[in-house]
Amino acid sequence: MAQGVLYHGEPNGPSLSVLAALEESGLEIECRPIDLLAGERHALPGVKDSVALDYAVEGEGPVLVANGEAMAEAVFLAQYFDEAAGGCGLQPSDPYERWRMLMWCRQATERLSPAVAYLGNLAWSQKKLAAMADEDFQRLLGTIASEDQRRRWQELRDDVVDAAKVEDSRTKVAQFAARIEAQLADGRVWLMGSFSIADLETYAWLRSMRDLEPDAFDGQDRCLAWMDRVGARPSVQRALARATTPGPERAFAPGPEINRWG
Amino acid sequence: MADVTLYHWEPNANSGKPMLALAEKGVPFASHYIDMLEFDQHKPEYLAVNPQGTIPAMIHGDRVLTESTAIMEYVDETFPGPDLMPPDPQDRWRVRWWMKFMDQWLGPSFSMIGWCTFVGPALAKRSVEEREALIARIPLPERRVAWRKAMFAEFSESELAESKRRVAQGVKLLEEELGKREYVASNQYSLADINIFNSTYGLPVGNPDLCNPEATPNIWRWLRTVYKRPAVQQTWAMGQGRFTDRFNALMEEFA
Repeated sequence: MAQGVLYHGEPNGPSLSVLAALEESGLEIECRPIDLLAGERHALPGVKDSVALDYAVEGEGPVLVANGEAMAEAVFLAQYFDEAAGGCGLQPSDPYERWRMLMWCRQATERLSPAVAYLGNLAWSQKKLAAMADEDFQRLLGTIASEDQRRRWQELRDDVVDAAKVEDSRTKVAQFAARIEAQLADGRVWLMGSFSIADLETYAWLRSMRDLEPDAFDGQDRCLAWMDRVGARPSVQRALARATTPGPERAFAPGPEINRWG
Repeated sequence: MADVTLYHWEPNANSGKPMLALAEKGVPFASHYIDMLEFDQHKPEYLAVNPQGTIPAMIHGDRVLTESTAIMEYVDETFPGPDLMPPDPQDRWRVRWWMKFMDQWLGPSFSMIGWCTFVGPALAKRSVEEREALIARIPLPERRVAWRKAMFAEFSESELAESKRRVAQGVKLLEEELGKREYVASNQYSLADINIFNSTYGLPVGNPDLCNPEATPNIWRWLRTVYKRPAVQQTWAMGQGRFTDRFNALMEEFA
């Protein structure tokens, strides 16, 4: 049913969530690591239809190339794996529970992931990008179709830091840890009751913040225990084992933009 | 009594999505018109339904649902009637991709321009104190920022230029997409069409330079097809003003 090649970055953020979802699905799809910060995502072989890669709201995430079409957006790829596998339990079957999961994922992709991407890129990718030879960087930019995505790459290389966005991002990370803490208050094991894409997507983005924003987790014991549970799942362990560098949680490339409306 | 209650503004953008999805499924619903320009959505009666103060919201039995695209998916999965999601997993992925592209990239640009040219001027007649009081009542901080910009015409030139650039780019991508398939994202009418039609049905009037039979023949063909759907006509007949006037004027063009 499902076919193609999954091109993924180091297991962090959307690449971690998609690799773990693939493991959960049991589908046999070839995985090939690429360097997202080198722009390799924009020069994949066999792509005839690239619009979803070029204009992914998620930014530089993993890409599944199937039937010549580049498929992007981590949550939707996880849904695709679940559905192509005939239902592997990553989505609740009840429509209302499914609605709740989608609402949670939307909060994660609109609030948490732009914040984490902003902080993570500044902390760990800015210097690498700044060290790139100008000629190489220009060549990389030339492969990126989306003008606003190119701007985010350029601003990262130029170390354009908006103090208000940094502060807002730190607040959003802490708010999300608190939101998870509250969600787990009734003693549930997973965010939606049963394990789902919401756990993978949230964990994959939050994982790197334990080092970078440790204060966000102060007193959030249920959240920390939940992170340990997600991290211990065989699917997540196998996804993490695909790392090609030490410290994959420090691998970032320009991610989703922070809401333009403020 | 209807089992479903929908709180909505005009059949346009977010409010129109669940209205049209319910109409396509043939699900009757009790309609509560929320006048966005009278700020009904921030009044206590509505905040009791949806404390976030966003529209639309749908009540089904004892369940309260918000967020228009997620509501549509619930409607499609819960009620009998024609399937509004294609069966093929890759098509379903594509439907979701296009809805996110509209909801988070293209849609905000459409709405920034709409708020600047329509919503803002409609509110300018109110006193500064009145506008401040309206803003103070908004529950979500992000929404307060957005409404402040609209009410006090604080959108910068560069913000507006970026929104216009995105609208032009988005129309171009939609034109290309509709050259690949009969409908948006698949060869069957789906939630992606409902979503995107709600933000693009007025393009021939609002952006005639970008969308016309010569420049965008595929969008034109698709608009003509979607305009003719009975559920679409039924939905826009529920509007109370300029959006339905615009729809009716274009309906003559597409009939």
